[in-house]
Amino acid sequence: MARRARRDSGRRFFRHPTAAVGLAVLVLLATLALCAPLVAPILPSTQIDITGLQNRPPSWQHPLGTDLYSRDVWSRLVYGARVSLGVGTLGMLVAVSLGGLVGATAGYFRGWADSVLMRFVDVGLSVPRIFLVLAAIAVWERLGVASLILLLGLTGWFATSRIVRAEVLTLRERSFTEAARSLGARPWRVIVRHIVPNAAAPLIVSAALGIGNMLLLETALSFLGVGIQPPQPSWGNMVADGRDLLTAAPWTSLFPGLAIALVVMALNAVGDALRDALDPRDSR
Amino acid sequence: MVVALGVLSVAACSRRGGCRGEYCGTLVIAGTSDVTTLLPPVSDAAIDRDVFDQIFLRLADLAPNGGTIGDSGFVPQLARSWEWTDPLTLVFHLDPRARWQDGPAVTAADVVFTFDAYTDTTIASGDRTALSHIASVTAPDSLTAVFRFRDRYPEMFFDAVFHMRILPAHLLGNVPRGTWQTAEFGRAPVGDGPYRFVRWTQGQTLELAADSTFFLGRPHLRRVIWRFASDLNAAITQVVAGEADAIEVLITPPNIKRAQDAGHLTLYPYAGPTYSFLRFNLRANGDASHPHPIFADPDVRRALVLATDRARMLQSVFAGHAKIPPGPMTQQWQWLWVPELTVPPYDTAQAAQLLTARGWRDTDGDGVRDRSGKKLSFHVLVPSSSAVRQQYALLLQEQLKAMGVEVLIDQMEPATQGERLHAGAFDAALESWNADPTPTSSVSAIWGHGGPSNFGHYGNATFDRQVATAASAATPEAGKAAWVAAFGTLAHDAPGIMLFSVDNIAAVDSRVTDVRIRPDSWWALLWTWRIPPDKLNERDRVGG
Amino acid sequence: MLPWLLRRVAAGIAIVFAVVTLAFAAVHLAPGRPFLPPEGRPINPAAIERLNTVFGLDQPLPVQYARYLGALVHGELGESFSRRRPVAEVIGNALPNTVLLAGTALLLDFVLGIAIGVFQAAHVRRRSDVALTNLTLFFYSLPTFWLGLVLLLVFGQWLHWFPVGGISDPVLHDALPLGGRILDRLRHLALPALTLGLVGAGGTARFQRAALLEALSQDYVRTARAKGLPERAVLVRHALRDALLPVISLLGLALPFLLTGAVLVETVFSWPGLGKLAADAISARDYPVVLGTTLLVSAAVVAGSLVADLITAAADPRIRLST
Repeated sequence: MARRARRDSGRRFFRHPTAAVGLAVLVLLATLALCAPLVAPILPSTQIDITGLQNRPPSWQHPLGTDLYSRDVWSRLVYGARVSLGVGTLGMLVAVSLGGLVGATAGYFRGWADSVLMRFVDVGLSVPRIFLVLAAIAVWERLGVASLILLLGLTGWFATSRIVRAEVLTLRERSFTEAARSLGARPWRVIVRHIVPNAAAPLIVSAALGIGNMLLLETALSFLGVGIQPPQPSWGNMVADGRDLLTAAPWTSLFPGLAIALVVMALNAVGDALRDALDPRDSR
Repeated sequence: MVVALGVLSVAACSRRGGCRGEYCGTLVIAGTSDVTTLLPPVSDAAIDRDVFDQIFLRLADLAPNGGTIGDSGFVPQLARSWEWTDPLTLVFHLDPRARWQDGPAVTAADVVFTFDAYTDTTIASGDRTALSHIASVTAPDSLTAVFRFRDRYPEMFFDAVFHMRILPAHLLGNVPRGTWQTAEFGRAPVGDGPYRFVRWTQGQTLELAADSTFFLGRPHLRRVIWRFASDLNAAITQVVAGEADAIEVLITPPNIKRAQDAGHLTLYPYAGPTYSFLRFNLRANGDASHPHPIFADPDVRRALVLATDRARMLQSVFAGHAKIPPGPMTQQWQWLWVPELTVPPYDTAQAAQLLTARGWRDTDGDGVRDRSGKKLSFHVLVPSSSAVRQQYALLLQEQLKAMGVEVLIDQMEPATQGERLHAGAFDAALESWNADPTPTSSVSAIWGHGGPSNFGHYGNATFDRQVATAASAATPEAGKAAWVAAFGTLAHDAPGIMLFSVDNIAAVDSRVTDVRIRPDSWWALLWTWRIPPDKLNERDRVGG
Repeated sequence: MLPWLLRRVAAGIAIVFAVVTLAFAAVHLAPGRPFLPPEGRPINPAAIERLNTVFGLDQPLPVQYARYLGALVHGELGESFSRRRPVAEVIGNALPNTVLLAGTALLLDFVLGIAIGVFQAAHVRRRSDVALTNLTLFFYSLPTFWLGLVLLLVFGQWLHWFPVGGISDPVLHDALPLGGRILDRLRHLALPALTLGLVGAGGTARFQRAALLEALSQDYVRTARAKGLPERAVLVRHALRDALLPVISLLGLALPFLLTGAVLVETVFSWPGLGKLAADAISARDYPVVLGTTLLVSAAVVAGSLVADLITAAADPRIRLST
């Protein structure tokens, strides 16, 4: 029964051609990122020739050109994928876990726990995310990668919690929950073993879209000078660094910008298709 | 008939766009940050100064290539003439034609009031210490101001005229001193200079209009407007697109190329008033009572200086539009750039030898030297506001990596960096200083023992003595010799790596002629520029 | 209705209060202090001390907080450290510019987004639908400032169709007749509004398409079709009304997005708005302005979501207002 449901989901997923392409793109990029040393022999921080090879357009030796510091743009793009995709994914994991937990707790227990938590969520949603992050960065002088992930996660869970709470509110009234409760199962067990798996659908969709948001936020932070620190490349800080060179060396910001757009597009396409595939109520 | 002609001519004038002739130009300057206040004693920002330089006058102003010793390098402004009645007394005779823009004449009482304000602790002007050699300023009559000094030294005249911009006593006398920081006058000043304040749309534009009755000559440019952009690149974009007419610096080769390729801009290089360096903290990071584990050792510092290929970095970042200063000096101090002062060579072999001799060897094979368990690794503070210094940080990191030195870059907001510097909570920092026309004030402040900006706690009694000798030298030649000696001592001690002094290049629209730029205040001579009547564009002509 | 409204307003005030308190703590605890001289100039400790006294920064933190709240109750937002004038004036100068930009971008966003979404739903699964899906997806996925930079480069610098920054021509604007002035303003507004609007429209179009398709699959629509109504009538008279509601609720979420995206776009186009003001204030440690803008923004967001809920509730009696 479950296997057939899964096959149905799979079929519904692949009905979206864009999603299939998107998935392929993501898998390709992830593979490139993981095999970075193989596909990009030049290290991303190597300054090949600071007086002779700066800002060179794409050529055979440097397929995507070189940047202001005579570093190979292709290498930086591939190694930057590690950082950007890594930060995005991990940040999303933090956000989705936290959001899922808070949403589930609020939705299941209701009462004052619900009110308090949702007020908190309202506060979080009321302040534009970039202000929150800027303020937090002002407090911590320097952000390591770990702190950045944590920060992105801690500021990104609010919307997810709302979605999960809505799902849990409905699921709560369903028969299997009643059954579990009447059997004397403790609340946490009910949440973890019964509600969460069924609330997984919106969570997964939220996760797919969440990575995209994290990527865009990391880019914005780098633009403002507070993202991933040099010399470590990230797509965000590559775009930021290349912004002053748009006329002199457009490839330095064009390729990472396109990469970001491509990944976010792919994630959105996959997210849409997942929503379609995992939603049992959808009869189309 | 006459009325009809009059009406016709007015109609024609407004239809074709009014102003024609010698006094029509409108100059739009692209600024990179907004103005804070236009009340001179409480301001310390360059853009503030750019604006109030047009509105207020000094007693005498620096000549374009003027020196700061004695009074030969100065031209009369508010004071028509002056003389020394005795070695400690300087008497100024004010020009009777000088008027405040709201009517009254400028008198010596204003000079007395100004000195009182600049030295008032409640106002806490940045120039207060510079004026400490002046005992008193009195006004025996309305056109005579008498300065009495406490002691004799070469730059008495400079101190008397350069720091103070004469303020209107009749307008500021009633404003409580404690409120000068936030005074209304700072948002709508009234001065005696070639330009009048018109309006300031905060965050957008600031407009000045020429005073046609200015006693030293009517300015040809009848309007000067500052347009504030988010940063240097946005400002240059405006100039390149023809939406602004002038910008005072271009700095990077891509920007210079953009300005050159624009076709309608003329580039004016001039000696810049800044120099930048990597400073070492000789005391422990955050703990001034202990020496720094790496930088307290002068041989290590010398090795680091030898290990940096400054010429190559300069070429990479500036493509030749900058110079390596042999000491803590700016290009504005032209007379100090003498062959006796040389830049230390780039010698990696000797650097490696020095480091090894001091016990720094790579014992664990990780590529970084170490000594008794401690890695030769340090953090460099870089402000996120300076693209050039960020570039230098990355280049330095790579260069020193080849020497087995690990450099970690800490990029932070200028406000945070400032705080860390003042607290001594850093290992090394990339700093940039905007110095006065004379070295006496900045060198001892930044490198002298106990200097307020000597964040690295460098101290050498010989150096201090040599600086004192240089500051009190009676002639430029004697001063030069003393400064050379002092900078030689500094180079030997290597409390920092002198990196670059930018060739400032201003870009001004080609229709503007008679462009003169002074290094200490680039727009100071704006009122002498002109736009010939045949070159007037739409912006110049509008508003008959 | 009224008790619900009162509850929401009270909750809103509490939220804004919490946000301002958080902001207060954040700015004061952050490293770096205000009044430092611009880089490269010697520090003047006496002046800094003087400024600290003038602005009350020498008081202990709880005292400062109490003072701030007390002033707030009287409607006083304090004085800006870097601009030396009342915060209300500073924000008042910047706000209309942001409202203009955000308003125009919102208009572009919704008009374009709804139109495209409806068109797509009407031509579902045809080639135009697929093409538009990819196009809207592309625009939705772009970093806003990157789009802004590209538009600035292409239409501003290369083609000279639009100016490269600011809100109006500093010299010519006042001399122009009314029509000319409006045109000047529009020309300066075009690129930044397009940047924000295009990215937003991408998202709105996707959302509208989904909502309309959902509405079209409902029973009452099938009934209308069965009755023989033309497709257009089905679409507009029945399904669209249902499908517009969720999109309107997007308005509430659009506000934070605009304010967030606006910071970067305002920087790229030198647009003197609230976003740029706040970003500049944060780096200059201009506490009163940071707090003032935070207060304004969170109040606007809370009010916006309240209004969105009210509209939704008024338009659809089936939806019960929950706390």
